[in-house]
Amino acid sequence: MKLSDSNRKMKLTGLIVVFAAFCCSSIAYAHHSFALFDRSQLTTLSGTVREWKWANPHTWLTVVVRKADGTDEEWALVGSSPNMMIRWGWNAADIKVGDKVMVDIHPARDGKAIGELHTVFLPGGKVLADPGGQSGEALAGGPSDLPTKPQGIPYQ
Amino acid sequence: MKRAPDSVPWNNSTRILCGGVWSLIAIVLAAQSGDARAAPAPQSKEELAKAWRDIATLPDLWQGTWQSVSPIADDFPTPPDYTPSAFEYVKRYKPVEDSPFANCKPLGLPFVMNIGGMPMKFFQSPGMIALYIESSGMTRFIHTDGRLHSERPNPTYLGESIGHWEGDTLVVDTTGFAPDTLFQMGKLDKKTLAQGDPSPLSGVIFGPHGPNLRLVERMRLADFKTLEVQTTIYDDTVFKRPYSLPSRRYIRGIERRNEPQEWACTDNRDYLDPTTGTLEYNVKDKAQSR
Repeated sequence: MKLSDSNRKMKLTGLIVVFAAFCCSSIAYAHHSFALFDRSQLTTLSGTVREWKWANPHTWLTVVVRKADGTDEEWALVGSSPNMMIRWGWNAADIKVGDKVMVDIHPARDGKAIGELHTVFLPGGKVLADPGGQSGEALAGGPSDLPTKPQGIPYQ
Repeated sequence: MKRAPDSVPWNNSTRILCGGVWSLIAIVLAAQSGDARAAPAPQSKEELAKAWRDIATLPDLWQGTWQSVSPIADDFPTPPDYTPSAFEYVKRYKPVEDSPFANCKPLGLPFVMNIGGMPMKFFQSPGMIALYIESSGMTRFIHTDGRLHSERPNPTYLGESIGHWEGDTLVVDTTGFAPDTLFQMGKLDKKTLAQGDPSPLSGVIFGPHGPNLRLVERMRLADFKTLEVQTTIYDDTVFKRPYSLPSRRYIRGIERRNEPQEWACTDNRDYLDPTTGTLEYNVKDKAQSR
């Protein structure tokens, strides 16, 4: 299946709504994420990794983004749980502090500097997609048709 | 004093035979009485080998893992015939504003089978099938040794499960549930829901189950790739007649990627402050409202 925007939108309109992750607070997170993050939008951040927290129930990627006006802004990005990410080809050691990355995220509805991970583009060319929100078939089948470059609206 | 062989009242084969018969009777009686105190007899090498050979012929639930491809919420296509108290409960029910899954609390059966997102894995040994459900990090133990239910099962989140095979179908009968296992008793009419609500839990009616809740799950392979689990709910405090849910489907994954993994819900409570956008770790008090 393709990780395209239209695909995500189709899911939102209710074709398949299978849970992305999750037990317990993960589900709670998913519950809240529908309110917090706009899964119909993709924003592309370019920045430097400040922290990469490989932990349950969620991974967290903290990225510092230099804005057009020269100021730095810290973004907290939530990802799926490690076990789900491992199934989609992630490794805890893939991301290191100081890495220059580009990240497609679902932005917060209220414009805060937070987001839900969608795809990470690493300096060496590796592309990692977050399995969050995918169908059971896609979770079992693994990622396919990974984008080669960011697909969101660039954040300035 | 050494006895002459001819003075032995029972020869060895008779002794073994009788011993075997008595052991068998003891096992059957213990199983039938559900008496957990009865000491099980160790099986001989030959008996064990036969037991393994026997279970090797059962339908193949064992290769790989099973990923749910059904929606998290059960559908109730036929309106349930509710008891008066359950009917009142449903009539007054307001969908939960917040998630009922907070705090990494075990969900328990039946809802634990619905979560998905992470696969589950069957294992078996003579007398028992185990089912690891990664999305909760819990393992179900399904006794297949012919025992009956305990007269007074202690309440647990996964209950007391006893399984047997009917042809190619594994039938699992479960009782003895903790009062606070998460229980879906119905689904609100789509017309009553907010338009475009993307939550997979929208419309789900969670409610209390009775002390005698009993589930009968029928598990069978539709084909090598597909497992179907059809559950019937027996709870006369909720349904006047047992309610048969539509089958849930799981697909098989045999790749390494789909092997079972650890799930530790509580190792790092994260918290994203919704007002400031600030990220904090291990903030238990705040996480409780999530």
